[in-house]
Amino acid sequence: MYEELLEDIAQGNALREVSPYLKLAVALGSILLCLLSESFVAPLAMALLLSLGVLLLARVDPRTYAALFAAPLSFALVSVGVILLLSGGADPLWGWQPLPWLSVSLTRESINEGILVLSRMIGGMSALIFLAVTTPMTDLFLVMRRCGIPEPVLDLAMMIYRAIFLILDQLVQTYQAQRMRLGYSSFGESIRSLSTLCGSVFIGSWIAGEDLVRAMDARCSAGKFAMPGDIQPVRAGPCLAVSAFLTMSALLVAITGSITVI
Amino acid sequence: MGSIILEARDVRYRYPRGMEAIRGISFHVRRGERVALVGPNGAGKSTLLLMFNGMIRPDSGILLFDNEPLAYDRDSLRRLRRRVGFVFQNPDRQIIAPTVWQDVAFGPTNLGLSEEQVRAAVEGALGAVGLAGFGRRPPHQLSSGEKKRVAMAGVLAMDPDLLVLDEPTNNLDPAGSEDIMELLDELGEKGKTIFISTHDVELAYPWADRVILLRAGEILQEDSPEVAFGDPDLVRRARLSVPALLELHRELERRGLSSPGRRPRTVLDLVRSVEQATRGGGARPPCGAIHVCNVDVTGREALARWLSAHDGISIGAMGTRAKQRAAGDGLPLDFSYGVIDKCMLSALNGRSSLILTVGGMVAQVEQRVARFREESGAAIDVRRVEGA
Repeated sequence: MYEELLEDIAQGNALREVSPYLKLAVALGSILLCLLSESFVAPLAMALLLSLGVLLLARVDPRTYAALFAAPLSFALVSVGVILLLSGGADPLWGWQPLPWLSVSLTRESINEGILVLSRMIGGMSALIFLAVTTPMTDLFLVMRRCGIPEPVLDLAMMIYRAIFLILDQLVQTYQAQRMRLGYSSFGESIRSLSTLCGSVFIGSWIAGEDLVRAMDARCSAGKFAMPGDIQPVRAGPCLAVSAFLTMSALLVAITGSITVI
Repeated sequence: MGSIILEARDVRYRYPRGMEAIRGISFHVRRGERVALVGPNGAGKSTLLLMFNGMIRPDSGILLFDNEPLAYDRDSLRRLRRRVGFVFQNPDRQIIAPTVWQDVAFGPTNLGLSEEQVRAAVEGALGAVGLAGFGRRPPHQLSSGEKKRVAMAGVLAMDPDLLVLDEPTNNLDPAGSEDIMELLDELGEKGKTIFISTHDVELAYPWADRVILLRAGEILQEDSPEVAFGDPDLVRRARLSVPALLELHRELERRGLSSPGRRPRTVLDLVRSVEQATRGGGARPPCGAIHVCNVDVTGREALARWLSAHDGISIGAMGTRAKQRAAGDGLPLDFSYGVIDKCMLSALNGRSSLILTVGGMVAQVEQRVARFREESGAAIDVRRVEGA
């Protein structure tokens, strides 16, 4: 239950009481600086700092963090492989033409481009994971309301958030019931089991939706969702730390702009 | 006896393309009453309950709330649902918001209360169900018992006159069930009218003022629990079972080990009945005392001092706040449900006990013990602990 895992980490992390505005500033600021950086140095340095923040300040379990990082990293590596071999350039270090219309080569430009893209991806992923494991969705809803996201959109998002866990719960229960009765034991059986699972979860979601409307009606629904007025305040210490992090990162982006691997 | 708050007159309902679920039901509920609708699965309990707040409209017959026939236009239903709080069987189907605070605030917000009023209503409701400090938690991280409490808080925040609960202890462990029943007792003491549906006869028997036995959409019997459950044939026809306490009393009575007459509602009643039948004219051993402590006015240190002077005394807690205080002070509880009765049982056995409670419940303990003292002649003393 991946979603639940992420949300549970966020609910219990040691930076829970830091203002979500600051955490959002760290994440969005880091992503922006990673995109602006012309060198691999700044994104990697930011990724290192953000990872240290997640592990040491938010006290997220290192194995969980590694697992969270591994999945998107594998996609990133595949993409970078394609860039390295296919983007070409004026200064080839190695080349191969297996077919008349296909040539692959490693060039100075493609290596620099590939490393830069990889470092930006690592930096961006670190920023996103930092936000995901330190800031629960429930806090982000509050920030979104303050930022003027239209109420119907936000209300819908909150109901979807709540429904995800109910549907996930049903999904897991049905899946386990199928496994217990030898579902997914062969390829054909897997297809059949999966289609039954989808059908059952669809019907379950439909019923849950009807119940939701009934539950809202029973409590005099006029389509309004309350938002608690209080949000974790922006305190001086964390605010200084975030400002220092973003300023140093911006300086690093400016200073290291011309550094390349080769 | 309070005025009638809810009345059904020959109510009938048939599901579309289905069998008739409710077949001409008539009954009434008075203010402050605790009524249990008891019946097997499929008897029509949930269907009947959903009529109370206008979720289901009967095909024929009339439902009256506060002597006014139910109207089914949007505004009338909103007014009705503000006064009839409905707690669904499955709390996951009732909790709709991403956090506990937002869910409890849903009703008050939709009633158009101001932000301050919403905040006060939410804090009051969460405090009443013992979930103060849970506001920011997402519902999926709560236990079944906690979710049930959130669902109840969501309804209590609207301050309804009538609280309707469909199978309130369904899917809860015994301790969770006791907590919920204790909470219902607390709400009952505060004057709320409570109507529950259940198939758990052991739960309904000691709790309810009145029981309605339902089978296949018809009322089989409507009376006090000892009468409604006292006829084994009727209970069998309702696909239920006779409460263990009644069955034990009947067997003891046949053997002359329990005094005939009034059927016991609680273990305390049964013990008294057995004592009366077996002791004869013999002298009663000296009774223990019941100490009552108002935790709102007795500090932690004062209570600790008192307890160290009364080492080994049994401790019970009545009410959510008292239980939280006991947990906070690290006091192990011997009794957490049916506390007064259990302390009186201890007292009859010569052992003293301490009841932790709050405010008006101190007087409630004194009145209950005084009544028992008059009825049984057992000299049980109630003493207030210093500071109470």
